[in-house]
Amino acid sequence: MSDHFPMSAVSDVAEPGNVAEPGNVAGQGNAAEPGEAGEAALEVHGLCKTFGATRALLPLDLRVGRGEVHALVGENGSGKSTFIKLLSGYHKPDAGEVLVGGHQLALGSAAASHAAGCRFVHQDLGLIASETVLDNLYAGNGYPTAFGTVNGRVARKLAAEDLARAGVDLDPRRVVGTLSPAEQTGVAIARALRRSDGGGPQLLVLDEPTARLPDREVGVLLALVRSVTKAGVAVIYVSHRIDEVLEVAESVSVLRDGRKVASRPVAGLDHASLVALLAGDGVEEADVSTHVPPPPDAPVLLAVDKLTSGRLREVSFEVRQGEVVGIAGITGSGRETVLAAIFGGEPREAGQVTVAGQPVRGGRPDYGVAAGLAYLPPDRRSAVVSGQTARENLVLAKLRVHWRWPKISRRAERSETRTWFSRLNVRPVTGIEQPLSSFSGGNQQKILFGKWLRLDPKVLLLDEPTQGVDIATKAALHKEILAAADAGACAVVSSSDAGELIAVCHRILVMRDGRIAVTLIGKDRTMANMTRASLGTGAENAGNAASADNPASAGNAA
Amino acid sequence: MSRLGLDRFSALYLGAAFIIMFGIWTPHLFLTMSTVDTIASSQAIGAMLGIAVIVPLATGVFDLSIGAVVNLTAVIAAVLMQQHNWNMWAAIAVAVAAGIIIGVVNGFIVVRLRVSAFIATLGTATIIGAVQTIVANQTQPLQPNSTLWQNLTQYEVGGFQVIVFYLLAIALFFWWLLDHTPMGRQLYAVGGNPEAARLSGINVAKWTWVSLIISATLSGVAGVLYCSLSGPSLTFGSALLLPAYAAAFLGSTQLRPGRFNIWGTIIAVYVLATGIQGLQYVTGVQWLGDMFNGVALVVAVAFAALSPGLKSRRKRAAEADGGAAQEKKTPEPVAG
Repeated sequence: MSDHFPMSAVSDVAEPGNVAEPGNVAGQGNAAEPGEAGEAALEVHGLCKTFGATRALLPLDLRVGRGEVHALVGENGSGKSTFIKLLSGYHKPDAGEVLVGGHQLALGSAAASHAAGCRFVHQDLGLIASETVLDNLYAGNGYPTAFGTVNGRVARKLAAEDLARAGVDLDPRRVVGTLSPAEQTGVAIARALRRSDGGGPQLLVLDEPTARLPDREVGVLLALVRSVTKAGVAVIYVSHRIDEVLEVAESVSVLRDGRKVASRPVAGLDHASLVALLAGDGVEEADVSTHVPPPPDAPVLLAVDKLTSGRLREVSFEVRQGEVVGIAGITGSGRETVLAAIFGGEPREAGQVTVAGQPVRGGRPDYGVAAGLAYLPPDRRSAVVSGQTARENLVLAKLRVHWRWPKISRRAERSETRTWFSRLNVRPVTGIEQPLSSFSGGNQQKILFGKWLRLDPKVLLLDEPTQGVDIATKAALHKEILAAADAGACAVVSSSDAGELIAVCHRILVMRDGRIAVTLIGKDRTMANMTRASLGTGAENAGNAASADNPASAGNAA
Repeated sequence: MSRLGLDRFSALYLGAAFIIMFGIWTPHLFLTMSTVDTIASSQAIGAMLGIAVIVPLATGVFDLSIGAVVNLTAVIAAVLMQQHNWNMWAAIAVAVAAGIIIGVVNGFIVVRLRVSAFIATLGTATIIGAVQTIVANQTQPLQPNSTLWQNLTQYEVGGFQVIVFYLLAIALFFWWLLDHTPMGRQLYAVGGNPEAARLSGINVAKWTWVSLIISATLSGVAGVLYCSLSGPSLTFGSALLLPAYAAAFLGSTQLRPGRFNIWGTIIAVYVLATGIQGLQYVTGVQWLGDMFNGVALVVAVAFAALSPGLKSRRKRAAEADGGAAQEKKTPEPVAG
């Protein structure tokens, strides 16, 4: 059970009472659909869609009971997004029918989808950060008014009710930008489910609701999802995070290449069996333990000495050639700023960074790049230059390579880009002149990896390197990290995904209150130890935390 | 549609339609070498300003002071030569230097003081207007009476006034700079996503500054040439500001849709001018230029927003799993 999510915030939330327990046990395959005992909130029969020659979705059958959380999982490009867009009326299907709450849904119309009670919360929540919760709830439409003027008192009362229905406990007068990411998601859910917005919601589709949430807040969101189902609303929960699916969903459907390969109750599944369903032939996950750790006398490539910046307080550590070091810690611990501060993306207040013996001036990324640092930001929005092609993005950090007076040789750039596409297995292969933003998330991330790997950096600073990418891509990127370390570089990986750190890091630094609280090495690199060290419960000194030898004893009770 | 290039080359088709239409309508007036020469030279200044605004636009900032710079440098050149009997080259040097200084000041306000470029250049444009009045001593200066000065732009080469060739040289240079050098690639990257550019080791502050210096310098050159072509004017530059942006935005729907580009802009300038000239021959009214340019600016920006390339890009971005980066147009630099 060590790969369970290290969260226990939801353990005290009661199971929704009106959910029919899935009737059959796992392992019986597709024959029996889960949730058959309950009334269906959503029934899908033979829904399919092709785009040109691409069969995005093969005929799909699906059934979700009232008050049920049905997870939808699949690699990037497996058809999840297409399915959601068919439900929302964004695309019109080639064939098939959809029943919502027993009523036939007119397909291909967003208005009909809405009227039938389908609600959608996308990864980009679409909230206005500078406005209050109240205004975000009703700005679209539906302010209660008296003589054309917003009736503030009634609006606040209504907002409180709408928030309570979604299980969010918030003052509607607060400004959205001051809320935590999980609370913001809660506001988006409350907005989607609000009463004043035409009839009763039947079905709530959550598209990757936790992709941008820090680890600590995932539990809060899962509790929210459960409280939504208590009102009888069915939830389709789309996520890449296996452990979340196992924790929150009653049943799960797995899509692969546009085809539903399985629809099962979650009760009989574990992490490994779900991964096997997802990846088909099986993904060989990267494992740092099969790599030889660097010798203790390997040269130090990165030395950070008493680095102070923002939340960071005198952080010091060293990374040797061939080593991969992980950085763990909750939101606010300094984990999110440490890599940017080393690189120069964040101003440096004090301290020194040395790369291969040479000190690096702080506060400016160009100094960092020149010194041999490479930095992958946690948010692809601050990494992808929209409007530029995959090729232009790939070569951006070092343009002089293909300079042949009097111009940059596009031919040489294209040929290099093709090489990286095949090395990193980027799809579509023919897309080198397409805008980078048109690629799927996983493929964008691969190209951004290539952008830095082509510089042969001495130190790779990777911030949430596999956020929002599918399992196969994740494994591929992990192997690239280890390969780069083997080839004579070193890497520092900051991640909110504890499993990722354990998979690729020789050594994990756990941060708390802007300092490195604990260093975990070898067998001590467990989720339990990381959770304990990052929260600072009990054992305050490193020795105690690191000596906890039973990873299964902690973790979640839910 | 894409086979014929109707999307990327729509302005060329439109231009051809204009020529055919007015050629049939008023062949004796329209289909003459003098019309070609008139359009080519009268629009050369406008096209230069189109290029001048493209550089900061590619970098993601607006420069609204270009019209004022044209006015000021034209007046400086004229006053120095006419009232102070300066040597022509010295006068030109001082006028262009004034343009460069304005660019440096604009850059300072935008990069160091972190004022939005839109506001900053609107402010400097107004200040420049005041300085121009001081320099001109509140009277319209006279055109310097020198053949050399007039020949600077009006000398005939192969049936065209020489200013057309200056434009060609400037366009070639900036096409090379923007499309074929690391600097150009970096400018476009800053305009596309300043944060991503900064985190790729690109000095966003420097390129923002440089782009504003380039636009002001080129506007200064255009002002001097304008003075030589038609004489100093206290107001002409301001009238050129809007057409320059109309051409830049219309140009961004051409050749490489979604990207500000030199040749698209040049095409846009001349297609608009052909239409205006033809309509003027036919109708004889004077308000056509303003009407045409205004409509073209609105239509071009609407087109740029709705162009098939951009639309499908947005759609694909929305479809891509895992939060593809959205179009993020922040015209403000992040000082490094």
